[in-house]
Amino acid sequence: MSAHRSAVTVRPTPAWVRAHHSVVVPAFWLLVAVLAVAGWEVAGMLRTGADAYPVATASAIVLFTAYAVPFTLVARSLDYFEREPAHLLAAAFGWGGLVATATSVRADAAAHDLLAKLVSPDFAATWGPAVTGPTIEEPVKVLGVVVIALVARTQINSVVDGFVYGAFVGLGFQVVEDVMYAVNAVALAGRGDRIGPVVAVFLLRGFLGGLWSHTLFSALAGSGVAYWVLHPGRRGLGLFAVSLAGAWGFHALWNSPLLADGFGYGTPGVLAALLLKGAPALAVIALLIRSAGRREAWYYLRQLVGDPKVATVRELSALATGGTRLAARRFAYARGGRKLAYCVKQLQRAQARLALELSRGLPDAAEHRAEVLAIRQWLRAYGHPDAYAPGSATTTGWVWAGGAVAAGILAVLVAAAIRGLGGG
Amino acid sequence: MGRRELRNLAESAAVLAVLAVLAFGLPAVNAAIPAAQAVATDRPYQLGDGVTVRPPDGAQLDVTRSGRGSTLFLLGGVRYLLVVAPFTGRLEDVAAQLRQKITANRGYQVTGSENPTRTDQGVTGRQGGYTSPGRNGRYAVFLHAGVAVEVTIAGADLDLRSALPGLTVSVASIEFPGPP
Repeated sequence: MSAHRSAVTVRPTPAWVRAHHSVVVPAFWLLVAVLAVAGWEVAGMLRTGADAYPVATASAIVLFTAYAVPFTLVARSLDYFEREPAHLLAAAFGWGGLVATATSVRADAAAHDLLAKLVSPDFAATWGPAVTGPTIEEPVKVLGVVVIALVARTQINSVVDGFVYGAFVGLGFQVVEDVMYAVNAVALAGRGDRIGPVVAVFLLRGFLGGLWSHTLFSALAGSGVAYWVLHPGRRGLGLFAVSLAGAWGFHALWNSPLLADGFGYGTPGVLAALLLKGAPALAVIALLIRSAGRREAWYYLRQLVGDPKVATVRELSALATGGTRLAARRFAYARGGRKLAYCVKQLQRAQARLALELSRGLPDAAEHRAEVLAIRQWLRAYGHPDAYAPGSATTTGWVWAGGAVAAGILAVLVAAAIRGLGGG
Repeated sequence: MGRRELRNLAESAAVLAVLAVLAFGLPAVNAAIPAAQAVATDRPYQLGDGVTVRPPDGAQLDVTRSGRGSTLFLLGGVRYLLVVAPFTGRLEDVAAQLRQKITANRGYQVTGSENPTRTDQGVTGRQGGYTSPGRNGRYAVFLHAGVAVEVTIAGADLDLRSALPGLTVSVASIEFPGPP
């Protein structure tokens, strides 16, 4: 990759940027105001459910909050080099869970009714979710990333950052929406304050539909916002429009009634149909983030090239992706146990911090270099001078393949569990 | 305020405007278009799963609350809702489920005892009454060949009293596919 192309792809946060700079921009106060108003509205909706079904509502909140943890960890692992500030990630999550949810609840209902009035009740019931869902929800969610860019434009350093903010907006939306779906399922079941319908919704929306849901759609649209921020102009706007259209399309496909009968093959057919409708979004977005992540990684890693005391060539390759970083830590664990693996993890973090500081031209770089060299000495003493894993690229491929097979088995088990609970 | 802040203010206002259009503008447009549409009352109306009903004279269909087995007719101020769905339990279970749905609403209470009823086709069911703040209601359930029909009728006392004869005829006209 040429230096010029890298320079356009990643724009590190300038050294002079401080968090309190955001407070002086009008967008910050817009964010605070709409979060407060929407928070009040969503709290009111949840209170209605909690009054009628306290146990089921509490169970839904606990289950879906726990469900958000692995998503958060994956999104954070993508954001390895220049980590986004926690308060902006919280704002993105809040936008999705509060602002986007409160707005969509009103607008979705109105759009559904308009379809029923202007087309037909049957069309609204069958195709309404595929038309109104993405048309209302994707723009409202992507506005969350736009507001983050307005509040802290300098924190949008690469396409990966837009992906991460978008993922947090989508995750917030997904969690709150799923809690509401679960409480509605309890009400529709008409069997009182029971958690059976909550568990069925958790398995159905969390596992069978959760992998390729709002988190992924918004991440795609968010990456388009980041591209536009980094490339203001027609090209940036065009790619933003394409990413938003992609999110709309994947969302519409997922919500559509197409293949709902599972080709007439019962549960296996329905599972195959779910995979066919959801997997393209997962595959396209995974490839996109993989490519963007590598570009961002190599932009920072270029800062460490030519200084083998700080990072060997093989360590630079190992640092480039989450899979190869993990493989290096696992290899260290196999050779020297938990302590050596932890030491490799510390080295990787220190190398990433040093690369970031060098890219931003900050004075702390010398301090981070000393930190890296100290850990290096430690590793040498352990007889592990090179923190990489042999053949880790091949291993990563096997990890993906194994993950896909495990996901397939899990999907079958979840479908069986849902049928057992009477939800299928 | 500098040029950069002014631009930020304009962009923030644009974001707020989009939110306002979606949260308030779209519902306002929706409210301006009537949901009730004329429905033929001289022939059976398809409720779903092969079940039909003859709507009462003067009834209109609420297109926004109808679809996928759920049909809402409006008769002046009276709401006449019919929900058709597959059901594997007994008639008593359908009745218990509907009572639970009714009483799950704050202030709603089932009143009096539940009585047997029958459609013109000969399918047996159960019916009862309920009350809610400012409104009274009737409910009925029918079960035949694994398909349940839940009927709820609600309205202010005066409206309900005048509409009830026509509604009773309509409920009796519910027809399931196949012999009873």
